[in-house]
Amino acid sequence: MHRRTVLALLVTGALLTTAGCTVEKPSDDAGSARACGTGKDFLIGMSQANNAEPYRQVMNNDVQTAAKAVPGFRVVVSDAAQDNSKQVADVENFLTQRINLLIISPNEAKPLTAVVKKAYDQGIPVIVLDRKVEGEAYTAFIGGDNVAIGRAAGEFYAQTLLPGGGKVIEIAGLPGSTPAAERAKGFREGIAGNPKIEIVASQPGDWLREKGQSVADALIKAHPDVSAVYAHNDPMAEGAYLAAKAAGLEQKIKFTGIDALPVPSGGIKAVEQGRLAATFQYATGGREAVELARKILVDCATDVPRATTLDTTRITSDNAAEAYAKLGGL
Amino acid sequence: MTDVRVPPPEPAVTEVPPAAGTVGLRGTAARWLRRPRSRRELVDRLFAVQSLFALLVVFVVAILASPRRDGEILFLTAGNLGNIVRAVSEIGIIAIGMTFVILLGGIDLSVGAILGLSAVGTATLLVDSGFGIVPAVAVVLVIGALFGAVQGYAVARLGIQSFIVTLAGLQVARGIARIWSGGLGIPIAYGDGAHEAPPAFELLNGSLNGVLPVPAVLFVLIGIAAIVVLRTTAFARHVYAIGGNEKAARLSGVPVTRIKVAVFAVAGLLAAVAGVIHAGQLNQGSPNDGAGYELDAIAAVVIGGTSLAGGSGSMGGTLAGALLLGILNNILALNNIDANVQLLIKGLVIVLAAALQKLRHGIA
Repeated sequence: MHRRTVLALLVTGALLTTAGCTVEKPSDDAGSARACGTGKDFLIGMSQANNAEPYRQVMNNDVQTAAKAVPGFRVVVSDAAQDNSKQVADVENFLTQRINLLIISPNEAKPLTAVVKKAYDQGIPVIVLDRKVEGEAYTAFIGGDNVAIGRAAGEFYAQTLLPGGGKVIEIAGLPGSTPAAERAKGFREGIAGNPKIEIVASQPGDWLREKGQSVADALIKAHPDVSAVYAHNDPMAEGAYLAAKAAGLEQKIKFTGIDALPVPSGGIKAVEQGRLAATFQYATGGREAVELARKILVDCATDVPRATTLDTTRITSDNAAEAYAKLGGL
Repeated sequence: MTDVRVPPPEPAVTEVPPAAGTVGLRGTAARWLRRPRSRRELVDRLFAVQSLFALLVVFVVAILASPRRDGEILFLTAGNLGNIVRAVSEIGIIAIGMTFVILLGGIDLSVGAILGLSAVGTATLLVDSGFGIVPAVAVVLVIGALFGAVQGYAVARLGIQSFIVTLAGLQVARGIARIWSGGLGIPIAYGDGAHEAPPAFELLNGSLNGVLPVPAVLFVLIGIAAIVVLRTTAFARHVYAIGGNEKAARLSGVPVTRIKVAVFAVAGLLAAVAGVIHAGQLNQGSPNDGAGYELDAIAAVVIGGTSLAGGSGSMGGTLAGALLLGILNNILALNNIDANVQLLIKGLVIVLAAALQKLRHGIA
């Protein structure tokens, strides 16, 4: 018991002294990070904020699939499980492994900024996906435009779904999250062209299917004459559909969502099967990130676009099957 | 080093740890140099080094399993070893407080939430309230210690199980953190401006000599202090005594209530220390920080050989357990083991450690 303590101290000390004494070779890793060209092997670290959400699973899958098509690319994915500290450690571990390029979808901006800068300062190109970091120490940002997606949805309501006008219920995302605010703002811009459309209620569903269902249940009871439900994501739209079905109103009310994930539980299948009238793609940027990585590492491009905004695709029953295949449905 | 004799935590009355007979670091050394007097003592000694032995095994395995680059063992690079201790420092500091609580026969589920509350408090006080570093940290540490003390009081005087009290404390601390921060993370900017923290606080994000991360150094220092406290003080013997047999300890004149309040206060204080470090490392305090850390800390204590039944265990074991978990995390990540498989492996290691514990009690 006592020797354990003494030895534990010794080992702790040894760990720290080894840490103090070992000499790193900074020249090596800086060199390997900068090397580019054809016929080489590249290790790409993909630091994911959270593997548990379907959207992020699809993002990982997009990166892996696209990377398989590039000779010499190997991608390793880490899961920070929504923990900023863990994501910092994940990136540090990638640096230890001397990755050639970092793709990161940060859990939050501020806590990840320092370690992203550390990687960038070591000469490692950094592609930031979906959520931003602060400052300028990264190579490129790729992400969707939630205002534009909300606007596309609003225009669809104004011109196609409810040209004659009608009452709309909005099921919003988590309060305080930027996508929720932006998807709400864009939608109001989009429906502005049709004054006969009225938003009669807006309540948060926190991005969750079950919350969307219970919120929609209450709102549909309060407004039985509603024509459509605009949900900020597909799971909440599906929840609203279930609530309407319980009230026997699922044929009378139209439902739309956002995200359009190409998975069996995603919005594209829901459109294909007739539950949703439409969904709007929120692209993961995974393929685009790998294409950018290819330009940087294989083509040795130095002048890559600093920010890429991804377009959205409107998915209705007309193009659902096609979109599912095109987006690499799982 | 004090050699205080407390009334009678005699082996006959209370189940005391093997060390209790010879308190103090000198006594410890003497005991180890002696030949074992009985089979039980030999078994105890062998199992005593269990967590350390496990740590060494994992360390060696990590070296063997480490990826290499240009002949260099990546696991052994200075940056990586420093990073391991840095990454484990917050859990490790929490686990030190958790060890006292578990030795007492209790559990503390609130420490992760107190970490979040403290991180939010640190960020708010430094950035929004214009506090200096010392007053801000002092306020946060007092809040953490008080929070723990109140929980300890509820456990000791109201007789509610610590599991329940700290489960409630977890919710309360999370709630306060969310109210205080408005639900969002509070970023820390550095400078002399009105809404900027003193640049010196950014030290927590840096390293000594550019190699030793400051959080790692703090962890090791606090760990050494905790070992000394647990080996040499009357307070520690009281903790062991209560954990071994509370009624006997009470009858022997151990101030049970006071010790319980103090132990939970220490756990709260150390969680607050971890929260300050967290805010400094990440330049932000978020109300959800530290979610699930209590479970990692409990895992470190269990791997370190401390019995969840209370009354037996050691601080050195906990430090070894925390480092073992850190090395495990690191080597699995360096080999790019799938995140879900990592969870599985870590679960197996915890079960293995617990099984060894059981085996020990079966033999002895």
